[in-house]
Parts: sequence; structure tokens; C-alpha cells
Amino acid sequence: MTAATRKYGSIFTAQLANGLTYPLDLLGRALSIVVFLWVFLHLWRSVYATDGSQAIAGLTLADTLWYLMLAETIVLSKPRISADIARSVRDGSVAYQLARPYNFVLYHFSVGLADAIVRAAMTALVGGALVWALVGPPPPASGWPLAAIAVLLGWLLDFSMSALIGLSAFVTEDTSAFDWIYSKAVLVLGGVLLPLDFLPEGLGSVARALPFAYTVWAPARVFVSPDPARFLALAGAQLAWLAVLALLLAAAWRWAIRRVAINGG
Amino acid sequence: MSSNRLADSGARDAIIDVRGLAKTFQVVRKRAGVSGSLRAVLRPERTTVDAVRDLSFAMADGELLGFIGPNGAGKSTTIKMLTGILHPTAGEATVLGLVPWRERRQLAYHIGTVFGQRPQLWFHLPAIDTLRLFGRIYEMDDALVRRRIGLLAEAFEIGHLLETPVSKLSLGQRMRCEIAASLLHAPRLILLDEPSIGLDVVAKQRIRDTIRDMNAREDVAVLLTSHDAGDIEALCKRVIIVNHGRIIYQDRVSALKRTHLTCKVVGVLFAERLAEPFAMPGVDVLKAGRDGYGLKLAFDSRTTPVERVLAQLVAAGTVVDITITDPSLEEVIRAIYEAAEPDGAPGEAAASTGLGALDAGP
Repeated sequence: MTAATRKYGSIFTAQLANGLTYPLDLLGRALSIVVFLWVFLHLWRSVYATDGSQAIAGLTLADTLWYLMLAETIVLSKPRISADIARSVRDGSVAYQLARPYNFVLYHFSVGLADAIVRAAMTALVGGALVWALVGPPPPASGWPLAAIAVLLGWLLDFSMSALIGLSAFVTEDTSAFDWIYSKAVLVLGGVLLPLDFLPEGLGSVARALPFAYTVWAPARVFVSPDPARFLALAGAQLAWLAVLALLLAAAWRWAIRRVAINGG
Repeated sequence: MSSNRLADSGARDAIIDVRGLAKTFQVVRKRAGVSGSLRAVLRPERTTVDAVRDLSFAMADGELLGFIGPNGAGKSTTIKMLTGILHPTAGEATVLGLVPWRERRQLAYHIGTVFGQRPQLWFHLPAIDTLRLFGRIYEMDDALVRRRIGLLAEAFEIGHLLETPVSKLSLGQRMRCEIAASLLHAPRLILLDEPSIGLDVVAKQRIRDTIRDMNAREDVAVLLTSHDAGDIEALCKRVIIVNHGRIIYQDRVSALKRTHLTCKVVGVLFAERLAEPFAMPGVDVLKAGRDGYGLKLAFDSRTTPVERVLAQLVAAGTVVDITITDPSLEEVIRAIYEAAEPDGAPGEAAASTGLGALDAGP
């Protein structure tokens, strides 16, 4: 194990322990998925009933609900890296984070990934139990590892875009406007509201050409239809977008670090 | 790579060398209210704030250097430039032979920082967890981490606190753990930014003792900022005073004490009205309570020892309450400015306590 993996691995495990300090808080957070899924169930049940068909764009009602369960879990569990960075600039803790021998962005990714995993485990448990009771068993367990990999890549992609917004806090302190736009883009173009497969052809292909789709739609889609070819295509797209964003982040970092203005005395 | 350059810089040379360092911030001025906010967005009025102007000083290896000044004097900004967090607007600096803002991460392995107003320990975890995490972050091997934790636990008397979640510690306990955490990787230089802020007198004293002890034991150089002149008096041999981003005084603490920290102000409350007004050579009566119970005095402790004044007061009546205070940092700074006044008589002013009305004089 190299010093670097030990370093970021330790940050990750410390935050895991930190995140597990208040299990009740976690449970409360996880319960919010019940409301979303309840609404989605009634919406899609009537859509499928009106349509009269077994499957829309290849997805059954059960597929759609399991898709939405994972999509909601991914979105509800992910920390907002941009807000974390902005907060550390506002409260001055960025001074510590910059005075340590680690990569500032990777530090936030390690902490964020730990938060996301702890919350997602609880949320998926609650959401999964509900969906199972409502529409039947989940997709085959053999596909879960593929979905897990796609979920992790999706989070990293989300963190990268969010960090890009967050680094602007070094200069502006406030990132909420960009945050709002980004979260709405993920909601519609990322496949949180509905599987991108349901969108009209033109809009669907636009969405699939943008990075937002690979944060939520790709992992949730792999989860409900876990065939290896689909996984390889989607994970490949995730990795390609990650590479692009890594370059953008590196450039943004060089720009931001020269301009950092830190609050306080 | 860095270690070679560290070795080249020589053993007892300056570990901090600052030449003409300056930092200006652009601040958007915002007027009050919603319309003010709107205007700040549409047509921002920018003003330039000179946080640090033309700062030059050097610090020797193993030195305990005090860096004091009122709030907003530029102390923290300087520290942040020396750790490489902020890029200066002008000037140069090397710390341990490295240019901080260009070699920030390399430098980080050799320096420690404590920002008194912000916690670095993970709030919900026991301090020992953060210490072990820091061991990994600074790429130390596990045996060394255990040895350092043992040593620091003993020096800071925190062995019994390490397993308790940091959220359950008192501020004084937490601050000892915070400073210990910054020393884990055995840095050659530690930058303490207001480590005693918010602490009570006892906790303050304990922190000071430990810092002095660690400086002697590990030969770690300490750059300490504070707006409490007491911290500097108790700890440092040399002091730099900054105000409005400039150095206004730079000398040994003993010299500062001799010239500017000798004036004592004593407040007394008596149980009964004094038979006759209090008077003593070398002591100024600043205020005598109208009722005759209270008294406020000032004197120069070089010429009039504190114990003599106290003895005289006790002899005058039954003392109910008594307080002795040093001049505040603001008063000291005012005195330094007055001493440096070009059209005054500099020699004379420098020799006096410089505290104007408070100065009793022989």
C-alpha cells in the first residue's frame, strides 16, 4: 500500500467513523426517501395503467421503481462538495486544509465519499424495503457489484463538477447560485426525476451527451438492467468524463489558489 | 529534495527570512439593506485593504518569537503567507529554505500550525483518532506515531483526555490537544496563531508552560501571535509588534518590558473610609472614589516596587478587594508611537514608560 492510498484511505475511514456518530440522525435523513418513492409509485402506476403496456422503453413498473429508488439514494446521500469547500473558506478551516501535505481536492473527495457511503447504505435499506414491499424483488444480485462500481464513479463525477463550483468560493465565497443551477441540471438531465430512456428522442440524446447523465442515470440504469455490455459502455463514458473534469479541475485549482482570500484577522 | 535544501540552509541560520512582504485584499463595499446588496452586485465598489505592507524580519532556528498587534494588524495574514496559503502581493519570503506559496505541500511536512479560533481536531472523534490520522497524512510509520503520541501525552498532560470525544473537552483541554496535534510530526517550526484566545488565566498559564517546555525539549522554533501582551511577556525572548500591517517595534522582550511594560495600575477597595487621602512618592492617584472607599493608582514598577505600594495600601486601611493590571497592548502601542514621535524628544520619551498621564516619574 502506498503512502498516498494510506493517506486518503485514513481520511476516508476517519470520516466513516465520524459519520456513524449519530445513527438516529442518519435514519432520519434516510426516511425522506419514503416520501419521494411514495409519490413516484402513484405517479408511475397510473402512467403505466393509462398506457396499458407492460413496459415503457423496455422498463416495467417494477424496473422504474427500482431505478428511482437507486437514483434517489444516489442524490439524497451525496454531500455537496461545493458547499463543503465554500464553508471551509467562510469559517477559515481552509487554512488548516491548505497547510497540510495532502491534495485539497482529494481530501474533500475522501471525506465526501465516506459521507455518501454511510448515508447511502441507510437510505438504500429504507428505500429498498419499501420498494420491495410495493412492487416485488430487486434486480438480480449478480448485477449489484457492477451497479456499485457505477455508483462510485457517478459520485466521483458529481464531486468533480461540484468541486469546480466550490473552487470559485476561493474568490467569491458564495456558490449558491451555481449550485442551484447544477442541482436542477442533475434533476432533469441527470435522470433523477425519470429515467432518461423516457425522454423524447432529441432531448434524450442531448442528456446522454452531457456529464450529468453519468452521475445518476448510468448507475441506476446498470442496476435495473445489469448486462456487461451496457455496464462497459456506461462506465467507459463515466471514466471519460472523469478524465475531462480532472483536467478542468487541475486548471481551476491553479487559478483559484493564487486568488484565495481567507476571512479573519 | 526538500531535505537537501533544508540541510543547505545551515544549522542555526534564519529559518524564516522575510523581505518586503506585502498583501493587499480587494474588498467589495456593500451598503446597508437590499438596495445596497443589489448595487454591490451590479456596480461593485471595490476598495483595497493593505493587510500587510513592506514587512521584513528574520527568525532564528529554535527561537521563540512573539508577533503581536491589535486585531486586524496583519498578524494572521502574515502567518498565512508564511504557510503558503496566501500569495503575497509583493515581496519575498523563505521558510526553512522554501518559498511557502510555491512549495506549500513540501513545507507542510516541516511546519506545524495552530489557529486558536478554529479547531483542527475532528469534533466528534476522540483526539487519538485525529492524531493517528495525522500520522498517516504526514506519512509517519506507525511505531513513530505511537512514540510521538506517548511523548506528547506526557508533555501536555493529555494522556487521560485522548480517548474522550473532542466535543466533550473543555476549551483549555482541547487547546492542549490541538497544540499537541500540531507537534506530532516533529516540525522544526510551529506557528501559533492566538493559541490562548478565550482561555481563563489558569489554562492560559498552562498552555504557556507547555509551549516553553516543548521549545526547550524539541528545539522547535515557535512563532506566536497574540493580542495579549501577557503571552509574549511570559514566553518570548524577542518580540515584533505590528500595527496597520507594519512593524512598529522589534526588539528583545526584556527591552520592551523595561521601557513599556513597567507601568502598573492598581485598583483598591477599602472596608472603611480612609482617615486621610492616600499619598505616596512615585505613585499617581488616578481616581479617588467620591465616597472615599475606592482608589485607582498608577506607578512605575522599576522605581516603585509593587510590594512597597501594596504594603502602604494595607497599612492605610482594611483592603476588601485589589486588582493589579498591566497596560493593555493598545496602551503599549500608543506609547511606542509617542516614543517615536519625530518632533518630541525621542531620547526622553523612550526612557520613560511613555504612558503619558499614567507615568508618575521620579
